[in-house]
Amino acid sequence: MEEEGGEGVVELSISASEISYESYGGEHHLPLIMRLVDQELSEPYSIFTYRYFVYLWPQLSFLAFHNGNCVGTVVCKMGEHRNTFRGYIAMLVVIKPYRGKGIATELVTRSIEVMRESGCEEVTLEAEVTNKGALALYGRLGFIRAKRLFRYYLNGVDAFRLKLLFPRPELNPSLLEDYDHCHHDHHMQEGCSQHYHGF
Amino acid sequence: MATTEKRGVKDDRFPSTGEQTVWADVSPLLTSACNDLQDGELIHGENFSLFAAMSALEIMDPKMDSGIESCGYRSVEEAIENGAAPIPLSSDRTVDVQCTIDVMDHLLACEATWHKGHSLAQTIFSCIYLLKLERTSSHALLHSYCRIIRATCNAVISVVSDARTHEEEDLFTMAHGLPLKGEGDEKCLSMLNAVEETISRQLRACKAPSSKKKVLEDIEPLQTNLDLEEGFCKALLCRIRFRKHFYHVLMCMRKPQGRGLDLARKHIAACLSELSCIHKSLGFLRSNACGSSQDDIEDGTTASGCQAVGFDASLNSRLLAPTPPRSIRILSWKKALEYYEKLLQDLDIICSFSLDPLLEGVLRFVVQFQRSQPDLVARAHLQLLLVQDGKLYGRDPFYDVISRAIGDQEVQKNKFVGHLGQLVINLLKILCTNAAWQRRKLGKILQDWSVTSVQVELACKIECEEKSNTSADENACLKLSKALLIWTEEQTYWIAYRFLMLGFELELYSPNEYCMVYWFMYIILIKLLEKAQLRIAGSIDTTKRKGKKKRELSKDASRDAPMPPSILLLQCYIFLSEGLAMMLAALCNEHKVFQRPGIFNTEQERFIQHFELLQKARILDHISYVLFEEWTFRSCFSTVVKYNYFGDVQRISKELKNSFAGDPDRLAEVRQIEQVAVHNRIALNVINHAGGHDPSLNVSFEFSHHPCFAVAVVKRS
Repeated sequence: MEEEGGEGVVELSISASEISYESYGGEHHLPLIMRLVDQELSEPYSIFTYRYFVYLWPQLSFLAFHNGNCVGTVVCKMGEHRNTFRGYIAMLVVIKPYRGKGIATELVTRSIEVMRESGCEEVTLEAEVTNKGALALYGRLGFIRAKRLFRYYLNGVDAFRLKLLFPRPELNPSLLEDYDHCHHDHHMQEGCSQHYHGF
Repeated sequence: MATTEKRGVKDDRFPSTGEQTVWADVSPLLTSACNDLQDGELIHGENFSLFAAMSALEIMDPKMDSGIESCGYRSVEEAIENGAAPIPLSSDRTVDVQCTIDVMDHLLACEATWHKGHSLAQTIFSCIYLLKLERTSSHALLHSYCRIIRATCNAVISVVSDARTHEEEDLFTMAHGLPLKGEGDEKCLSMLNAVEETISRQLRACKAPSSKKKVLEDIEPLQTNLDLEEGFCKALLCRIRFRKHFYHVLMCMRKPQGRGLDLARKHIAACLSELSCIHKSLGFLRSNACGSSQDDIEDGTTASGCQAVGFDASLNSRLLAPTPPRSIRILSWKKALEYYEKLLQDLDIICSFSLDPLLEGVLRFVVQFQRSQPDLVARAHLQLLLVQDGKLYGRDPFYDVISRAIGDQEVQKNKFVGHLGQLVINLLKILCTNAAWQRRKLGKILQDWSVTSVQVELACKIECEEKSNTSADENACLKLSKALLIWTEEQTYWIAYRFLMLGFELELYSPNEYCMVYWFMYIILIKLLEKAQLRIAGSIDTTKRKGKKKRELSKDASRDAPMPPSILLLQCYIFLSEGLAMMLAALCNEHKVFQRPGIFNTEQERFIQHFELLQKARILDHISYVLFEEWTFRSCFSTVVKYNYFGDVQRISKELKNSFAGDPDRLAEVRQIEQVAVHNRIALNVINHAGGHDPSLNVSFEFSHHPCFAVAVVKRS
């Protein structure tokens, strides 16, 4: 049900139940994801970037629909990184009118669940230090700010590396391996790291 | 697949390649192959994965993205041919001067932008005049200015390169393909001086009363509008002089062993004075501007507000030097001046450093210096001052520094001192880097220090066992080994403490993690205090043993001696950490705030992650999440109030203020601690008074009095 807001802004009052979520199902989903990300994120990606993620890890990408329209998406990957099996959240987008309704949280949660089931030991991503919405969202899910990356983004903004550690039965801190990232290489970033500004 | 092979045909269009090989034209083959592929389709190959495809494309970088439309000039030569960088800048001498000043201003803005972390190619070398410097030789003013800019760039790059700790800021020194080195740059100062001399005479000439003018030598004025002569001369002179003094600052600061620091300070003062004149020239230049003013005058890169001629940011995008595809914003002229002011102030702080021979003093200075968040150029200068030729200030070998810290020259004979010296050098370099990178590196070197500690301890034990007799010399040797061990452990805890503190400065902790961080900090500080006290006691012993000046200290007196201020300060930090940790734990227990039920993990995982590096370095045995849980479980408000941590801090602070009476930095530090204590004590009483779980009470923590020690703010909703 759409309502007109005071200044002529169209506001949508949607209940959570009206949003449906789908796992990446194939080529027909690709243009939807691309359109959303191109529209909302400032980082330009080639089609090969999208294909890299959704072909190799289709089970980790999810789309949110409302009335047949794609209103949000999350794109991730996972793999071995320095003796740790780790998930990585590359892109997360929810279009403006649908923010603040928990859609992003739901998308991310679904993806992280698959990562956990798949045996990931941790999940990581980068987010701008100014992206309060993202930081709050991931904070609520249990991510900590593991590192600050100086001027990570080309516009000079710092980033936090966020990490979620899954509980493990044989928890012995002194046996933990060195997870640390090598220093950030300007020319070969680990996938796409730009995140949506504001939720 | 169409095959059009032309084997064995000698084609005169192409160079001969040898006996058995010929050229074959595969263009038709490629064309059909291209037609086979739809947009966005990709060939899969064993050694051409999706990852490779994704990484191969750098969108919007013309070097890698063949699809990008090239707009603008394709080369510097083409730009020049089309009049993009005229010489002179105008046939009208007044306009020529105005335009030259605009170029100078825009170059200053470019330089500041580069310092702030952008590439040379997109900033300073977006200047066509700099790309082809020889062209400007007919224009003395522009030419000498460009030369000094280039010479200054080289000097700054050299400092940052030599410091070699700018990993995250690596764009700074990348200059492949850019004309950075030029013949004759060593003469830049004399060229600039000549120009300055001329303009000074022109200024004198225009200010002289008309009667005197006949006596003065006939000097051609700077430009044609005599009413504006003074203004333009002054505007030019302060800009030229700024560059001259800034160059001198750089040269002086690079003199070995800090010999040039005093002179550097004089040049810094001159720079600041000229900066102020440059700033004042704004009014004159803006009201006498010609040409189009930039859209938003506040964001303008020139004093006049006009667009500077002769710059093209896209020209270098096809060169080797990195030009990240996103276009960058050059800092505004005003922001550039602010940047230089800060840079000069930071450099001045470095130049006024007393070159404290004691390591403790050096560490304190660096930590204090970093609080003002100096930029890369200033930090690189500090590092090069501290560590030169493997010595402190290029003068004191580090085995000397360590033996001074321990209070006994004999310790130099210990086999670990050399290695420890290297660790100290590495530590000093790391402490000069930007906070984010610094924290990561500090976390890593904890391992090195901890391992070395263990080795020293092991060697001590072996020595102990071997020395079963009690010869005085051997006993002294053992005491030295122990002193070295204590010192090593103390440094290790200091690093751990700094690691934790930086987390606050970098905003790495969320409020529901403050408790565990303060708790861990409290434990580290206790160990740090313990080692510091042992070290001090040990060095008093040593001085007594060697019969030096402190002979007046009797055995009793040494036991009852007042605690040195450094120890008292540590006590304050311990009480603050403990108090805050307890208060936060009590809030969690009694008021149910700062709890965060995680759906994917628990507080234990977050604890493990935050303290992973500290645990890995094994600097604290038996410290675990379980211990933390037990400790916080018992925390309640009545206990916190009873122990009155913050009251103790207030009491000690009073005493410290007397001890530090002559030291403004230390006094400021103590005042901050005091403020934190006072406010937290009040908040604690309010909360305790309210009692129980009062839903209308809202408690938040803010860093209003100290960047790392929070203050509780209580509000009623």
